[in-house]
Amino acid sequence: MTAVSNALWRAFGALVVALMLTPLALVVLFSFTDNALTNFPIERFSTRWFRTLFERAEFWKAFGNSLTIAGSVAVISSVVGTLAALALARLGERLANAALVTLCFPVMLPALVIGIALLVFFNKTGVPFSLATVILGHLVITQPFVILIVYARMVGFDYAAVDSARDLGASPWVAFWTVTFPMVSTTVIGAALIAMAISLDDFIITFFTIGGGNTLPTYIWGKVRTYLDPSINAIGTILLALTIASTVLALRLSRYRG
Amino acid sequence: MAADAKRPDGGRTPLVQLRGLTKSFGPVVAVRPLDLDIYAGDFFALLGPSGCGKTTLLRMIGGFTEPSGGTIAIDGVDVTRLGPEKRPTNMVFQGYGLFPHMTVRQNIGYGLRLARVAVAERAGRVERIMDLVRIAELAERRPDALSGGQAQRVALARALVMEPRVLLLDEPLAALDLKLRKQMQEELRRIHRQIGGTFVFVTHDQGEAMGLANRIAVMEAGSCVQEGGPEEIYRQPKTRFVSSFIGEANVLAGERRAGVVTLGAGAGFAEAGADGTVSVVVRPEDVRLDPGADAEIRLDGRLEDVVFLGPYTRYRVVLDSGEEVVVHAGDAAGQAVGERVAVGWRRDRQRLVQGS
Amino acid sequence: MRPRQAAMLAPAAAVFAVLFVAPFAFLFVVSFWRVKTFKLRPDFTFDNYADTFTKYLEPLVFTMAIGFAIATLTTALAFAFAYVIRFKAGRHGNALLVVTLVTLFGGYLVKIYAWKTILGTEGILNSALLALGLVREPLTIFIYNPGAVVVTLTHFLLPLAVLPIYGSLRGVRDITLEAARDLGARPARVFLDVVLPQCLPGVTAAFAFCFLIAAGDYVTPRYVGGPYTSMIGNFIEGQFSLKFDWPSGAAMAFTMLGACLACVAVSRALLGLARPR
Repeated sequence: MTAVSNALWRAFGALVVALMLTPLALVVLFSFTDNALTNFPIERFSTRWFRTLFERAEFWKAFGNSLTIAGSVAVISSVVGTLAALALARLGERLANAALVTLCFPVMLPALVIGIALLVFFNKTGVPFSLATVILGHLVITQPFVILIVYARMVGFDYAAVDSARDLGASPWVAFWTVTFPMVSTTVIGAALIAMAISLDDFIITFFTIGGGNTLPTYIWGKVRTYLDPSINAIGTILLALTIASTVLALRLSRYRG
Repeated sequence: MAADAKRPDGGRTPLVQLRGLTKSFGPVVAVRPLDLDIYAGDFFALLGPSGCGKTTLLRMIGGFTEPSGGTIAIDGVDVTRLGPEKRPTNMVFQGYGLFPHMTVRQNIGYGLRLARVAVAERAGRVERIMDLVRIAELAERRPDALSGGQAQRVALARALVMEPRVLLLDEPLAALDLKLRKQMQEELRRIHRQIGGTFVFVTHDQGEAMGLANRIAVMEAGSCVQEGGPEEIYRQPKTRFVSSFIGEANVLAGERRAGVVTLGAGAGFAEAGADGTVSVVVRPEDVRLDPGADAEIRLDGRLEDVVFLGPYTRYRVVLDSGEEVVVHAGDAAGQAVGERVAVGWRRDRQRLVQGS
Repeated sequence: MRPRQAAMLAPAAAVFAVLFVAPFAFLFVVSFWRVKTFKLRPDFTFDNYADTFTKYLEPLVFTMAIGFAIATLTTALAFAFAYVIRFKAGRHGNALLVVTLVTLFGGYLVKIYAWKTILGTEGILNSALLALGLVREPLTIFIYNPGAVVVTLTHFLLPLAVLPIYGSLRGVRDITLEAARDLGARPARVFLDVVLPQCLPGVTAAFAFCFLIAAGDYVTPRYVGGPYTSMIGNFIEGQFSLKFDWPSGAAMAFTMLGACLACVAVSRALLGLARPR
């Protein structure tokens, strides 16, 4: 009885995993075929669609824009978010929790609402739309994740180590760079990678704040709307590879598990 | 005072002088204005229950908590406003505070590196201190590969290598199991003897304070209620709190009128002093069952409980007044539970403290 | 709070205030303005909200219904999956969790596109069915209907819902379960009396999160929902990218958020009532 029900539970777990991964696996699979339509049967495997893609200047432009935006977002939000998390960790638990909930509020909202709010705001304050406005928009949704991840690391942080450093002659500044930062650096890098993945993947906020030009997601969007081009599979594969790689690396570094 | 003669330094100026030192956290007073002298060579214990302000006091000496008032002088220099990195003190933290990203050797060498001690000298000092605390074989390990006792030794070495004028230890043995604690007590005594420094430590364990320190300050609710040698504190407790916190004590209520003390339990004796409520404190090992003629104080009661504890037997007697007296006696007297018994003690074994 | 902590919090607070609170407050103000000859005119009118309820009531109700369906389905699946990770998968639990986390922060558009290629008339599912000889002609029932939207968004939201639920299940200590068994509770009772109450905050958070994200989405219905499955998000987006009627769009957005919060609150109250005690 127990054995049977346990087997059923496990089968369910396996099924969910399959459901989560199959659609993505299919995109990757078809990106490496010769098919002109994304469907069976697969005639033969080839890198044809990647080669087509790599010949297009607009792809490289979008790719470059994506990297510029995601890189900037990762750096800025990890600095800003880490500073905030370190400060919050030193506050009382109740105050810190209230601040965390407040600062994480943007994550709970549909990206559409944040996108249109930023569109109207930048337009009315006369800020020209550019990659910079996209970076600012992404900070709103990546900062909460950095704060949450670094704050989680600071719970149970051994402050006696920092006190020890001060006791042994370190100024606050030296103690931070020789003890505090080395102790949390892997978590901070992990948080930066998560911010990068979120930024790389974002379509909606980018769409409303970029003005002109493309990132990888808006490039996909433009293609899907017009015609079904198998090179979309290739872009999708590249985007997935980037976000999954940074997420996996981040998980390894930060040991963050939700 | 007689106790001063026992001090290793005779009558020199104290190494650490606390004057009117106080600390409040908002409306909560952690340390009330407090004066304390610690002399060079002392192994000094700050003893008290949790929440009595002893750790706050230690952290103020170390420079981690800023006092709300008063001054701290070390070697005659006012250090009250100096940060921890500028004081001639080093601390062994509760939980040790080892740097997880450095090896044991790097942990110990950290302070010397900041002080820009030359590489060769640094290496030599680190080696010597690792030999002293017997952790030479752990040099290349990381803190997460150390046992509790090993981590304790590394933390000690890391502070000692700085050759502090005062070594501060915050509950140094609290995280260790009983056997290891005994072992580390011996180690600390040996190291203190060998380097001849000044150690100040915080503990809630009276056995630890008695076993390590040559001077003890007993703290209660932010105040230092008594300071002295271990024997003085055990034999001549100034308050009822001190008597019951240090070892086991029988406390009996009484009243003094015109120089005559009458106990609620019956007996009376003459002793000069102010009128009012008093308490008589007597240690269980000083009380006798069926006392002989030399016992000036005698009380009657009923034997309630007998427990054989090895070195001695513990008797619990309920007096006719309802108060309890505990007796530790080496030889089994043969009385059975429920029998009526007499207890008594010599007057020079008891202490009289004002109030109840 | 000491000055140094305040200084460290300042940049994050600035991002929050300038890039989130201010735009949001301004959008709310704009929702009471009006547009004349393609120009914004400051005003104080409730017309935009009235229009939302008269012109867009049907998509609004439809959005809430589909949002509720998606949030319920996703939360239920996520709960069962988190339960497997925590209690049933043993040493494989960590692997399941990693799979969940791996796609958490990436693949929004790719996932939608993937479902379009799977469910489409000339898509993977139909071609597979044809190749296997199960059908003679491609089926059109897979795509361009609300069902496709539900499937796609459930797939997208599942990892996001698993995390908070797993987080709260992880907080359920084994010893509390053993204590309940020891006191005479059968496994089902242990679940109802001990497990469920302890992870209700996580379940509620997951449900609310799924509801808001699903109800606010417009890309999924556009891609796989077809012309007759427009959600309120599609109309909001239209006000900004096609009609340039920002006040109407803003009013619709705030109405949608209000409706979402009301639905979440009602669902939560219902869950509270249904809870065994």
